[in-house]
Amino acid sequence: MGEDIRTRTDVFLHTFTLARVAPSKRAGVGVTSPLLRNITTIARAAATLNEVNSSQFRLGLGVGGLQDLATLGITVTRPVQALESAVEVLRRIWNGRILTMKTETTELEQYQARYCSGTRIPIYLDVRGPHLLRLAGEVADGIILSGPMNYLEKAIRIVKNHPARQIPASPRIVVWLPTVLTRTEKDLRLAKSAAATVIADTPKSVLEMDGASQEALWLQETMRRRGYAIASRSVTDNLLNHFAISGNAARICSVFESLGRLGADEVVFGPPYGNRPLASVREVAGMWESS
Amino acid sequence: MMFGISVNANDSLQSIVEKARIGEAYGLDYVWVSDSPVQLYAPIIAAAVAASTRRIRVGLGLMSTLLHTPQQIANSLLTLCVMYGNRFDVCIGVGDRQQLCRVGLDINNARDLPSKLVEARSIIASNLQAARIRTRIWLGAQGPRMLRIARDFDGILLNYSNIQMIRWAIRQGNLKADSKFKIGISAPSYVHSTPQPEILELAKVAAGTVALGTSSSVLRMMGLVDEVRRLRELAEGRPSLEEISSQVPTEILSNFAITANEEELCLYVRELKRVGVTHAVFGYPQTHSQHTVKELAKMLRSAS
Repeated sequence: MGEDIRTRTDVFLHTFTLARVAPSKRAGVGVTSPLLRNITTIARAAATLNEVNSSQFRLGLGVGGLQDLATLGITVTRPVQALESAVEVLRRIWNGRILTMKTETTELEQYQARYCSGTRIPIYLDVRGPHLLRLAGEVADGIILSGPMNYLEKAIRIVKNHPARQIPASPRIVVWLPTVLTRTEKDLRLAKSAAATVIADTPKSVLEMDGASQEALWLQETMRRRGYAIASRSVTDNLLNHFAISGNAARICSVFESLGRLGADEVVFGPPYGNRPLASVREVAGMWESS
Repeated sequence: MMFGISVNANDSLQSIVEKARIGEAYGLDYVWVSDSPVQLYAPIIAAAVAASTRRIRVGLGLMSTLLHTPQQIANSLLTLCVMYGNRFDVCIGVGDRQQLCRVGLDINNARDLPSKLVEARSIIASNLQAARIRTRIWLGAQGPRMLRIARDFDGILLNYSNIQMIRWAIRQGNLKADSKFKIGISAPSYVHSTPQPEILELAKVAAGTVALGTSSSVLRMMGLVDEVRRLRELAEGRPSLEEISSQVPTEILSNFAITANEEELCLYVRELKRVGVTHAVFGYPQTHSQHTVKELAKMLRSAS
């Protein structure tokens, strides 16, 4: 369950409702930013969700969209340190330790959570770029990856066998790309629009890692000079296939499988799914189940 | 008069839900889910309670506007109402200063708290209005500065139990309960037929914790400055008061907690009604077990 700070919802409550109605499924927060709340609030929300279904809950953290954070007056100067600190503090809180510490983002004074049972809650990091990937490889239980295809392949290699990994088990890799079941021209336009949004938001370091960056850089420039609508119409099939997943259900499932061969343990379907989201989800899920 | 319990103190989610169901079954009107940096996340508890009950009203709070932004509180309330029906109230306030200090939030650094709370109320109310949801926004208050803004809210929850203090607060805030405005108290409680010493100790700890978080102006009104200062010295460096519960003065227990047998409870409820209180919330350790919740609910039936 993702958090969109522009909507008037509580991501933890939505995740709770999801866990209630689908208890056999893994439900997680994917993702929230440790910069949006006091770290102790995230700790206890995660612990509460873990009590609902301890074998299935995962907490996803990410820095967050820089522009979204800026609208709330939050600036991020050291994202790697912010995430690293968040992971460390959360694990210490859940271990029931008495904590006194002060960092750029966290201040605790003789703090001890009263709800702890010592259970380990898996932390997934939603990260992009070489520095954050290295951090995730070192400390995260799982990693949520998004970005262009060549970049994904390199990113998976970086995180899977990180030499400085602090946790015995390998990280679980989740790939999350905008996915659209395209039946009509309208669906195709939606897919290209989703790809354009992703491309606009992709950092230069990711494009450099991807190596096939010229077209994407050109689209970013188009967006800056001529606006989103024109850039969206300029998304080529190559860019679409590189930054998003689209096509009929069979093609979508085929791409999912190829991501599995690259090293992904899980693939997230969606959003935006298509212009008929429920029908798209049913069709792709049905195809996946039967294949 | 309406009665409720306050949950989410040293308890598991499942246990809280069971106690809420008992409260509903035995006729209580409210379950208030307290929010503290060291306890489980209140909005989820509130959702779990609502999902497992049908009639009882669920209160969220006190939600500190220093710990949560007004928009985050509004988001939680909106999500709850949309998903579980219009059965929720919210109480906002500054919060317990000691607990907030532990998570890096210093009340002394916060400017113009009363105005900020009124503004928070406005943000929450406008969000609810946009979603066409009507619910009660309470103010959690103690001292004169907060009492002055109480009428900007739909109700006030005072966190002391002493009748004189309650009477003082009502006069100070020029408060009168009517169809639009409610006056409530929320206090640590132990109402019993036969007192169990270990639960009484918990009541002392709970009362002491509230006292330590009380502003100096209110403590002066109560004549408890020295007692709380001594308690603060004893509590220095300890994460909780449990180790020193026997040293919590009786005056703190009697001013901040409701401890009574059935007869005393009857008299107390009568006094509350007489001074104009319309809601009484019985907090931890009244929710120590299903038995203590049942006992309270049965006694309140007789008292009413």
